[in-house]
Amino acid sequence: MRRDVLLLLAKQLVSNAFRNKAIVMLLGIVAILLIYATYSCAGIYLQETQSRQSYQKEVREHWEEMPDKHPHRMAHYGYIVFRPKSPLSIFDPGMESYVGNAVFLEAHRQNSVNFSEAGFSTGMLRFGEISMAMILQILVPLVIFFIGFNTVAADRENGTLKILLGQGVSWKEIMTGKIIGLFGIALSLLLLVLIFLIAAGVSIPQKQFTADDLLLISWIMLCYAVYFGIISIVAVLISAYSRTAKLALVSLISIWLLWAIILPRTMQAAGNFLYASPSRIEFETAIEKELIQKGDSHNPDDPYYKALKDSVLRIYNASSVEQLPFNYSGFQMKEGERISAVIYNQHLFALLDRYQQQNDVSRLSAFVNPLMALRNLSMSISGTGFNNYTRFQQQAEAYRYQLAQHMNDLQIKLISNKKPGDNDKPYSISSEHWKSFPDFSYKTERPIVMITSETLSLFALLCWMLLLITAVSILSKKLKAI
Amino acid sequence: MLTLLFKSFIRSKVAVIGLAVVLFTGIISIYIGRQHIEKQRTSIEKTAHFQQEHIQRNVQYFNKEMGLLLYHLRFSLVNETHPLNGLSIGQRDVNSSIQSITIRNLENQKYDTDLFNPFNLLTGNLDFSFVLIYLLPLLIIGFSYNLLSEEKEDGTWPLVSTQGNHPFKLLLRKLLIRAIAVFAALAVLLLLSAVILSIPVDSSFIATIALAVLYLLCWFAICLWVISLQKRSSTNAVILLSSWMMLTVILPGAVNNYILNKYPVPEAMATAVAQREGYHEKWDMDKQPTMDKFYAHYPQFRRYILPEGQFNWPWYYAMQQMGDDESQMQANAMQDKLWQREKTSTFIAGFIPTLHTQHMLNTIARAGLSNQLSFLDSTTGFHEKMRLHFYPKIFEGSAVSGEDWQQFKMEHFSQAYNINWLSVLMPLILVSVLFFGLSAVNFRKSLQHDRM
Repeated sequence: MRRDVLLLLAKQLVSNAFRNKAIVMLLGIVAILLIYATYSCAGIYLQETQSRQSYQKEVREHWEEMPDKHPHRMAHYGYIVFRPKSPLSIFDPGMESYVGNAVFLEAHRQNSVNFSEAGFSTGMLRFGEISMAMILQILVPLVIFFIGFNTVAADRENGTLKILLGQGVSWKEIMTGKIIGLFGIALSLLLLVLIFLIAAGVSIPQKQFTADDLLLISWIMLCYAVYFGIISIVAVLISAYSRTAKLALVSLISIWLLWAIILPRTMQAAGNFLYASPSRIEFETAIEKELIQKGDSHNPDDPYYKALKDSVLRIYNASSVEQLPFNYSGFQMKEGERISAVIYNQHLFALLDRYQQQNDVSRLSAFVNPLMALRNLSMSISGTGFNNYTRFQQQAEAYRYQLAQHMNDLQIKLISNKKPGDNDKPYSISSEHWKSFPDFSYKTERPIVMITSETLSLFALLCWMLLLITAVSILSKKLKAI
Repeated sequence: MLTLLFKSFIRSKVAVIGLAVVLFTGIISIYIGRQHIEKQRTSIEKTAHFQQEHIQRNVQYFNKEMGLLLYHLRFSLVNETHPLNGLSIGQRDVNSSIQSITIRNLENQKYDTDLFNPFNLLTGNLDFSFVLIYLLPLLIIGFSYNLLSEEKEDGTWPLVSTQGNHPFKLLLRKLLIRAIAVFAALAVLLLLSAVILSIPVDSSFIATIALAVLYLLCWFAICLWVISLQKRSSTNAVILLSSWMMLTVILPGAVNNYILNKYPVPEAMATAVAQREGYHEKWDMDKQPTMDKFYAHYPQFRRYILPEGQFNWPWYYAMQQMGDDESQMQANAMQDKLWQREKTSTFIAGFIPTLHTQHMLNTIARAGLSNQLSFLDSTTGFHEKMRLHFYPKIFEGSAVSGEDWQQFKMEHFSQAYNINWLSVLMPLILVSVLFFGLSAVNFRKSLQHDRM
């Protein structure tokens, strides 16, 4: 292939596109939407981050200000933790709006993560959010298809194709040139996004993008570039293959509808159908049932706790718990907390596995729908995907467990075993113990894990690329000028 | 003439494939709706069963103190699922339809969400409202974008236009045939859904049908208007698909971002923090001031004076009560914010047919934000009722065995909803009339142009 010929063809495509008023208008709309998306997503990020940070600070201050008291009171006072927003949610909000933002952590009980944006929505959210990622994933391909349907098919209709081939330009050169032209248009939009994203990152006061974020951004750009490559090739292939431009347009629109609108919902519905997930009541009763089977700390005659008590008394050679050298009720609660946490986590992991199975149906559909591959990659790298959500949930639960057990330990060590009389002052320990208990801090995933957790999607995207390049070279030997 | 046109239409590939796809997804969507309703129903049955078992077990364990028993006991309130919810799942997949609450601090309990897979919410449900709002308009676009332009491009238009005085009558007839096909598909789907979901034929169902018909009429009007511009087929396709994109993706998304930005709800977090402080700080304070605040709220309980001793139940429940009382300001602010969101959404949706249709379908199916807010209000009432029932018994130290525990069955909430026909249908009627009018003007102009 000759470079100057390719460039000439690409340039011609671009200048043709810019001569078309409708296309210029569409590109203008895309640019305006990109500005709006940057502005509003950055605004939401800033607002939410500020209010979550300030409430997190308030919660900590209240915690440290707590006076001397019984440690079990503190275990019930508990903690509220807020889910920090990923900085790259400015680019791709992913599941951000659908997952809860705050969870109350206390002893004996795993509360749900509440206050998701979806729960507060009027239902409008379900139409989707405007974000840079959404525009690049859905709108830009449509614009590329609107430009691309006309490329080879129009040349065929008006006879230019014959002339080109007659002048010794090969089929492969024609198609590659047009692909480069389309890809160039898409890439310039991607460049615009990169500029907006960096500008947003710089203009946000406290949290500027770190080196890690920059690494993630470059990966995001790479994935989108591959996706745009796929879109450009598909447009030119269909245009070259179709008899008329109109047919090419109808086929491309159908492909777009299938990828962007129909397949995502259908695949997720199929996932739900194949792998039914339990309702909240089923989930909770299953846990409670297992818990009661193992040992019911509420039941005064429960055999498990009776056996535990007997064995402890035997070891310490005591006849009643009051003779023990440590606080027995703290010890019993610690055991109870351990058992219930183990059982809860087993059920939670089973539930999350079930959700993953549902999502895997969508994930696998990447081999028929490159948009799905990109969507999963984009969310994962932006830190707004499913993994990120479970990560927060698990860290919050780990912190809750740590808090409850720490308070149990303090009770075992520092609280007297004798029951206080009705008019005695209740036992309490120094408030220094609260101050020394560390604050919750969410540990973000390492960038390398965020990138590699969607290897399947990356693989699917590369398969698409390879397949399409092969299709171009096969088709370029078979196509006819008329 | 009409039958001939119909035959030629129904033989075309676009018609057959398009109708088949829409009918197929439509039927799937109805079954997905049924699956949703059945999941709700089994949840409710299980909750009813669980509540009885739960009360029995706890009454057996904690039979000495009413106060301790009521610390553990949970009572359930169910937000009833309307059969139309199977057509429009709305917010019912994220907001729980069941509240199981103790008589303790309510603000700590009432916002608990349902279990859900966030990825499901992100992709959205394949329910009937999706088929209606997204797919059927595509079918209409596919049927009509080239009605006139194709004749022109194939060169048959001069022939047609010389045959009669009103060549556009033929166009209207062709459009009518397509409309009959589309509305027949809609009728089939609605009929099937009425049977499969056993939807009663009442004003709610009629409003749903009217919304669906008018919404599709809007799209026929938009298509006719684009045809009346008399551009090439591919231009028509681009314009129509862009309009579809605008109405189903861009405008709703932009409005959503606007509402999120304009009405953020930090009050939710403020409520969570305030209720926790309101209750817990009382443990470290003198008991009498807490009791005084409690008496101020419930003067009728003044006669239960604070007993002696380190711990007692009147004081405990007064503390719990303070969690609610002292976070009331934040909770009310949150409610106000959410109602503002609802009102603004309703107002803006009035100008955008897709948003309006979805919003109204959700509202009629009792699956929107207004339903959730009413359910929360009803939860507050239910909680208050239980509180007022048990407070005197706890304070008097009544015997656990003296209570008839069988009577505490799960209770139901069903939102009363009066359809305001004007506000439900008017926005769609106006949009249809506007675009039919614009098309008539365009056609008249081109007729005059032809005559000259």
